[in-house]
Amino acid sequence: MFDKKLVSELHKIVGKDAVLISREDLNAYSYDGTATWTHLPDVVVLPTTADQVSQILKLADENRIPVTPRGAGTNVSGGSIPIKGGVVLCTTRMNKILDINKTNMTAIVEPGVVLHDFNIALAKQGLFYPPDPQSFLGCTVGGTVAENAGGPYCVKYGVTKQYVLGLEVVLANGYIMKLGGVTVKNRTGYELTMLFTGSEGTLGVITKITLRLIPMPPASKTMMAIFDDMVVGGQAVSNILASGVVPAKIEFVDNFVLRRIEEMTPMGLPVDAKALLLLQADGSPAAVEAESQQIVDILKKSGAKEVKVAKDASEAAMYWKMRSAGFAATFSAAHTVLAEDVAVPRDKLAEFIQKLDEISTRTGFFICYLGHAGDGNLHPSIFTDMRNKEEFARAQQAMEEIFEAALSVGGVLSGEHGIGLEKQRFLKRAMDPVALNLMRKIKALLDPNHILNPGKIWEEERV
Amino acid sequence: MAKSKQDRYEQIKRFESDLSQCMKCGFCTFWCPVYQEERLEPSVARGKNMMIRGLLAGDLEYTKEYAQRLNKCTLCMTCTANCPAKANIPNVIVAARADTVKARGLKFPYNIVYRWLLPRRTLFGRVVRFASWFQGIFLPKTEGTVRHLSMFLSALGKGRNIPQIAPRFLRQSVSVVNKTPKGVETTMTVGYFTGCMTDFVFPELGKHIIDFLTRNGVEVIVPREQGCCGAPVFLGAGDFDTGRKMADTNVKAFEGLDYVISDCATCTSSLKDYNKFLADTPERKEAYTKFAGRILDISQFLVDVLKLPASAYKPSAEAKGKKVTWHDPCHLNRHLGITSQPRQIIKSIPDIEYVEMPNADRCCGMAGSFSMYYYDLSKQIADKKVEAIKSTGADIVASSCPGCEIQLIDSLLRNKVPVKVMHIMELLA
Ligand SMILES: Cc1cc2nc3c(=O)[nH]c(=O)nc-3n(C[C@H](O)[C@H](O)[C@H](O)COP(=O)(O)OP(=O)(O)OC[C@H]3O[C@@H](n4cnc5c(N)ncnc54)[C@H](O)[C@@H]3O)c2cc1C
Ligand code: SF4
Ligand code: SF4
Repeated sequence: MFDKKLVSELHKIVGKDAVLISREDLNAYSYDGTATWTHLPDVVVLPTTADQVSQILKLADENRIPVTPRGAGTNVSGGSIPIKGGVVLCTTRMNKILDINKTNMTAIVEPGVVLHDFNIALAKQGLFYPPDPQSFLGCTVGGTVAENAGGPYCVKYGVTKQYVLGLEVVLANGYIMKLGGVTVKNRTGYELTMLFTGSEGTLGVITKITLRLIPMPPASKTMMAIFDDMVVGGQAVSNILASGVVPAKIEFVDNFVLRRIEEMTPMGLPVDAKALLLLQADGSPAAVEAESQQIVDILKKSGAKEVKVAKDASEAAMYWKMRSAGFAATFSAAHTVLAEDVAVPRDKLAEFIQKLDEISTRTGFFICYLGHAGDGNLHPSIFTDMRNKEEFARAQQAMEEIFEAALSVGGVLSGEHGIGLEKQRFLKRAMDPVALNLMRKIKALLDPNHILNPGKIWEEERV
Repeated sequence: MAKSKQDRYEQIKRFESDLSQCMKCGFCTFWCPVYQEERLEPSVARGKNMMIRGLLAGDLEYTKEYAQRLNKCTLCMTCTANCPAKANIPNVIVAARADTVKARGLKFPYNIVYRWLLPRRTLFGRVVRFASWFQGIFLPKTEGTVRHLSMFLSALGKGRNIPQIAPRFLRQSVSVVNKTPKGVETTMTVGYFTGCMTDFVFPELGKHIIDFLTRNGVEVIVPREQGCCGAPVFLGAGDFDTGRKMADTNVKAFEGLDYVISDCATCTSSLKDYNKFLADTPERKEAYTKFAGRILDISQFLVDVLKLPASAYKPSAEAKGKKVTWHDPCHLNRHLGITSQPRQIIKSIPDIEYVEMPNADRCCGMAGSFSMYYYDLSKQIADKKVEAIKSTGADIVASSCPGCEIQLIDSLLRNKVPVKVMHIMELLA
């Protein structure tokens, strides 16, 4: 049981209704988007101001209590799971859009603003914030900064870190620190905003975010290409990127996911296709016209069986809806779905797909995947059942082989989902030991008592 | 511990596929009206479903907190409609409520109201009447024709502006068989399920519907034996045993009639839900399934079955020349998929300007027993609806669920927005 005195201290800071301690409520903060991890916190607090966050952290730091920051809990790496118990600091009530500046093309938001709410507010003013993790209906802007999230648009527009101009971060000792500013250029000392972007809640709690915006592209066109062979599809992506056109999005769907989607929501998809590429060109109408023609040509030359260009916005919307149903299609397919997030150099996509095929044959596990092909970022998934210990162990082994394969072609462990709990056992192999050590030292410097999201990123040994 | 584990989770187990279908993506946080107000994970479908999984795993118990969190759901189905995994969590929630009632029993005053009063229509009527006297004598009048209700109705009311209880109930003012007027050929005979609200609070609406139908060649039967649809009992409170009694009463009351129409979206959908939740024997399954096939919402009946020509729709005196917007009741829209028929009717009425409100399908927050337990929350949800109605500049907001209508009347008054609330049938002469 959590110390009663601490609970009453928390009551004083945020008020009674923003402190949850019943078993039923704690249960609701024990999970995230992953299939395998859960752990109960001792208490959940929902602050509304940076000052409250500061007082909470001070209290926790003095009492050496773990604090796990949490946005919407949609991450798929175990990041927001309070694996050491303690406090879950949930930002969902810090959800004000503080400023949208159309002339400076910037916005300032609190961390708990839901990405889609932000997008809706921006669209009203003809503005666009490209990073589009496919969890946009749930995830918070704070969560996307803490995970440095990306999405389909990132082929052309880059990931979250390319848009973060400034942050307000509460440090473990409670200090409210301001970083960066509202200028697009800023060359003042080390780039500390980037240190906190992608820090997965282990270095500080982000309480304010300044983001760069761009104008909404006036036109766009969506294309769908069907392939008989996944490797050929992978090669087509490399060919497009090498040709000089930069599509806004290039997404990959395999036959299994395709069938599952069609089964769940029939929309007349070509269920016998081995692989499907979904692409979008955007920009000025003339540029979109020229680029999409060029993309269609390359797709055909690269061996696409069929290429369809969406007639209108509603057909395009249907294709993209299908893509976003991909996650559900994969995750509801088995009791335990191990889904990974490796990213490989974009010219190695075909080679990597070939390797996945081999792993599948060798281990006997069916590997399904969809992903952000344009970024070389795939989510190979293995279906298993963690209740079956023997099979689960073999599945994890197969997952390991997938990592190895990605690393062997020059890829990385995680494209966008982060390390969290899910990938920490691979970290050592994937990073320069000196760099890893430097990261540990930064962590120790900023959070000497290890209260911030303990148990994440690093394996258990002490710093 | 006499009950076996299976028994303790009897109803939940029936919806295990929904329970396990959720893959925790969190998309429902964007749609759930309760989450949107509270921004708390236990409020949303994902959190509730995980709580129920926690119960099955033995991590949680049938505690008061558990029951409270289950109640905090309007069953609006917005989560399901937008769920990429097609998980119907409201199903699981209703089932979990039923198992909770089995395990914990119903608490005062709901045990009296649900077990004893609602199933007994005549007695219920007397209590309502009794309460209405008190209402007139002891309680201050609020704006317009609306007053505070007391006593039993405080369960519904809690300070809510509720229209006055009618001086004469519908059942007391119409005959069982209502024939078409002289000179009008009878083309069809339907049963009319009047529902508690129309019976006790809006009898004029009931009379008007009977009048409209008979004028258009439909003979209307109003069986005296019919009772409450049971929604607050089996969906709201999870009392399936009493729910079955009420279901059986209604099925019997309407025996032999091809169509049973209802003017209340909640009743319509609940009557159709008997099979899903209450069928515990093959006989009931058959009877409830057949019954469900005969139930029709009034607008659906007019458009899809009676196929009235546009010329049959003339504006009532109150609606003539007015700007009208439409609120989709959750039970009509997401539960029954009826969205075009009411709009088609309103758009066919001459001398009425139709204007669509933003998010017309967003839950108004009434949800029967939900608003008894969580009136403040219910008000917050309703305030968003009021904003949407206001933005249209409409004179009238029409709907077809007396529950929604009460909520809209209350919320518009509270926010001092002079928009009239009408049932869709009241727009018609
Ligand atoms: C269906 C689905 C699709 C997805 N698609 C994508 C995708 O396309 N691309 C992608 O990149 N990701 C994707 N994700 C993963 C996930 O949505 C993102 O990582 C998202 O950024 C998490 O946001 P959140 O608000 O849910 O954060 P949470 O899950 O609550 O937290 C994530 C991490 O950030 C930390 N954190 C949260 N808020 C703060 C804060 N204010 N300060 C400091 N640390 C904080 C937490 O401690 C945790 O480590 C997907 C997930 C799902 C379920
Ligand atoms: S949207 Fe559906 S699958 Fe996603 S968390 Fe909610 S109920 Fe579960
Ligand atoms: S039915 Fe409505 S109130 Fe209940 S969880 Fe789903 S969206 Fe929320």
